[in-house]
Amino acid sequence: MGAAALRALPWALLLLLGPLLPGQRLQADATRVSEPTWEQPWGEPGGITAAPLATAQEVHPLNKQHHNHSAEGHPKPRKAFPVLGIDYSHVRIPFEISLWILLACLMKMGFHVMSSVSKVVPESCLLIVVGLLVGGLIKAVGEKPPILKSDIFFLFLLPPIILDAGYFLPLRQFTENLGTILIFAVVGTLWNAFFLGGLMYAVCQIGGSGLNHIGLLANLLFGSIISAVDPVAVLAVFEEIHINELLHILVFGESLLNDAVTVVLYHLFEEFANFEQVTIIDMVLGFLSFFVVSLGGVFVGVIYGLIAAFTSRFTSNIRVIEPLFVFLYSYMAYLSAEIFHLSGIMALIASGVVMRPYVEANISHKSHTTIKYFLKMWSSVSETLIFIFLGVSTVAGQHYWNWTFVISTLLFCLIARVLGVLVLTWFINKFRIVKLTPKDQFIIAYGGLRGAIAFSLCYLLDYEHFNMRDMFLTAIITVIFFTVFVQGMTIRPLVDLLAVKKKQETKRSINEEIHTQFLDHLLTGIEDICGHYGHHHWKDKLNRFNKKYVKKCLIAGERSKEPQLIAFYHKMEMKQAIELVESGGLGKIPSTISAVSIQNISPKTLPDSNALSALSKDKEDEIRKILRSNLQKTRQRLRSYNRHTLVADPYEDVWNQMLMKRQKMQQAELQNAYLTVPANRIDSPTMSRARIGSDPLAYEPKPDSENLPIITIDPASPQSPESMDLSNEVPKGCGGLPPSPEEDEEGLVMRPKEPSSPGTDDVFTPGTSDSPSSQRMLRCLSDPGPRQEPEEGEPFIPKGQ
Amino acid sequence: MMASRTVQHNWNLDLCTYFLNSSLQLLWTHREDFQRIPELAINPLGDRIINAFFSEGEDQVNFRGFMRTLAHFRPIEDNEKSKDQNGPEPLNSRSNKLHFAFRLYDLDKDDKISRDELLQVLRMMVGVNISDEQLGSIADRTIQEADQDGDCAISFAEFVKVLEKVDVEQKMSIRFLH
Repeated sequence: MGAAALRALPWALLLLLGPLLPGQRLQADATRVSEPTWEQPWGEPGGITAAPLATAQEVHPLNKQHHNHSAEGHPKPRKAFPVLGIDYSHVRIPFEISLWILLACLMKMGFHVMSSVSKVVPESCLLIVVGLLVGGLIKAVGEKPPILKSDIFFLFLLPPIILDAGYFLPLRQFTENLGTILIFAVVGTLWNAFFLGGLMYAVCQIGGSGLNHIGLLANLLFGSIISAVDPVAVLAVFEEIHINELLHILVFGESLLNDAVTVVLYHLFEEFANFEQVTIIDMVLGFLSFFVVSLGGVFVGVIYGLIAAFTSRFTSNIRVIEPLFVFLYSYMAYLSAEIFHLSGIMALIASGVVMRPYVEANISHKSHTTIKYFLKMWSSVSETLIFIFLGVSTVAGQHYWNWTFVISTLLFCLIARVLGVLVLTWFINKFRIVKLTPKDQFIIAYGGLRGAIAFSLCYLLDYEHFNMRDMFLTAIITVIFFTVFVQGMTIRPLVDLLAVKKKQETKRSINEEIHTQFLDHLLTGIEDICGHYGHHHWKDKLNRFNKKYVKKCLIAGERSKEPQLIAFYHKMEMKQAIELVESGGLGKIPSTISAVSIQNISPKTLPDSNALSALSKDKEDEIRKILRSNLQKTRQRLRSYNRHTLVADPYEDVWNQMLMKRQKMQQAELQNAYLTVPANRIDSPTMSRARIGSDPLAYEPKPDSENLPIITIDPASPQSPESMDLSNEVPKGCGGLPPSPEEDEEGLVMRPKEPSSPGTDDVFTPGTSDSPSSQRMLRCLSDPGPRQEPEEGEPFIPKGQ
Repeated sequence: MMASRTVQHNWNLDLCTYFLNSSLQLLWTHREDFQRIPELAINPLGDRIINAFFSEGEDQVNFRGFMRTLAHFRPIEDNEKSKDQNGPEPLNSRSNKLHFAFRLYDLDKDDKISRDELLQVLRMMVGVNISDEQLGSIADRTIQEADQDGDCAISFAEFVKVLEKVDVEQKMSIRFLH
């Protein structure tokens, strides 16, 4: 029997997870001996090992109970010391939760293994089916399957998904289409709710005896619950079909923003159902409460977002808990909004959107990765759990099936959605520059999926006031199943059939970024000339305000002055470098290191003295090899050099040596008979533009000539790390040399940065001089322009290799 | 004559042809008038935008020229797409919009954005705090990404190709009529 138990272990874990848990619930209720004594039926050898210990024991809960009672019947005079005891009740709740989450994760894993099925059927459908199966199993064993409690759903399962959506919301598309999204969310949801509620009321009146007692308010409440497009379901389905960004943001944005409407309508009708009479004043108050709920939610979110951004400014010494701040502040925003019955979802989104640009400028690269992956992980697990529980609750809940009600609900939901989208699009297209085509409208209408939010809201209904709750639940579940299964499964072939534009997978290139910004400025200028205060004008004003005041408060150190373009470029270079390492592996460390890419990967580095990045032994050896082989000559130039006191990042050493070498070369060349263009004084942007305006070709970027001092690195001097500042052509205050005149003016040099730049972690290898593209770049650099490129002088960078 | 702000508020593209035949042909605008607009002074591209209105060497622009430049920013109507293909391309076609933007980069009018021209624009957009090497490498990277014929400059065709994913029709359009 033990052998059989051991062989059945893998299946036991999966299949018996369900029955185990409610089984335990029953047992916990029954009176038990505080600790099962050693008189346990050790005859079952399956009980020896750890994992099957629980399973094998729990397989026969009834036996154990008998045994327990039988043990009690004969009290021993003295208990022998229990060598091995079992105390399940102690860990029951965490254990069960972990088992459910484990089930969810195993299911997710399983779907990807069975890739043929998951290509046709979206994951959400499969998960609901699994939930149904598990619920069915639990019921078959005779236990009561757990129902998705609304508290758990709203407090623990929903926030991670919404936070993930809000934090990574593509802000540009969102704001560009904000008007459209708002109209769909607010007007569309209202239309759906009232249309459905009204029609269902009519149906109830004529629908026979079973339905007559359902009043108008109850129907309107039902309509408001079911009319909201669900963000979880939309995310789950749309994520897999890779539709183009416009449609994605329209449907998804709508599903997020309609929460305010749903909350208001839900509370409104719930309250009204208790009133005898609904007066005009009540309706006006209801209308007002919409604004309070939505704007209040956003306000709470913004406050928390700003506090989080401000907090992140000071986290440079405790990098490890930076992600926690993001999560905690957002969650607090959600909970605070829920205290006042404001829209928690909007608070969560607002806080994520507000804090993101500032937090990302302040935190380290690793924290950024942590946040991203934690959010994705939590939201993924949440989503899986929600769908599984939907399935289980379907089996568990009490249902009251009424054909008329359910079928008419389904029908009117679809009709309401289609009508709403058509009418609203016709209206919106008058104001849009890029119109929504009928194909777009179809996808928007088809993408109106309902999900677990509707289910939970209905579950929250008080049974006393709404005794038809079961019927509502049944209808809602039917609609959810229909939208998720039928619409979810068919949307993918439909998208292909209609040849809807798909998402472009390639990342944004530096060209796009530059030219888009260029066009932004251009359009702002044109708008100013016309006197037309449009989208660009306000965006520009907001950006200026942001740059001038907000960034200074919320971003630590010098990064507050960093233009968006530079930040984007750094991120891009970092990504490329990391990708290069991952694809090429360490074996491909090139014999030389490209000056250009290092410079831009870590231009402003001040070593984080508390967090010396720990390099693996291999990397260190590689780096030493490189230094040894290529930079022999420069090493001798340094008078005193101690890696450990200077700098933590070894790449910086290489760069510094190259920098010095380059400067020497430049100095030599310049003295040799190259014309030195008189240095242009760096003046205010207006003046420089005025100069450009008068003679566009006269502007020369400042040549990096001037006095290049011999660099002495004094490790003892506190200035020395700063003098390692990489983009400083003329290191400041180095070795007692007076700074050259240019430095006194605001300007060309980048001030030393605090160690908050997310750049200098040890993971990358700047190996771009290998790739053909960078070689082409070097070839380009060697093309003599108006001023000689400094890189040309470098003997150890291969030219066009 | 000065083109006052009220005139700017009231102009109407569709009445352009009517005005052309009327006395408004005599309206002239000078550079200083543009420079008086405060927001243009703080716009990094302010000077170049102003220059785009004036044709080569001229110091004043009449109403027709003003309209021609602004006509580039008209939204692309759906019905225009089906108009006859043989006629001259309308000023607000995607290609012409992009050409307008290209001309703002390309000051020496050699149909190429060279590294220096790119550097100038970058310098204007980014401000003075960034060093030359940084900007230089960004410019190099930009050219390297876009350049297909290896001439280390961005030609108009390459420019168009790079921006093919950007929704230029929406970005470069202003709804003039409220």
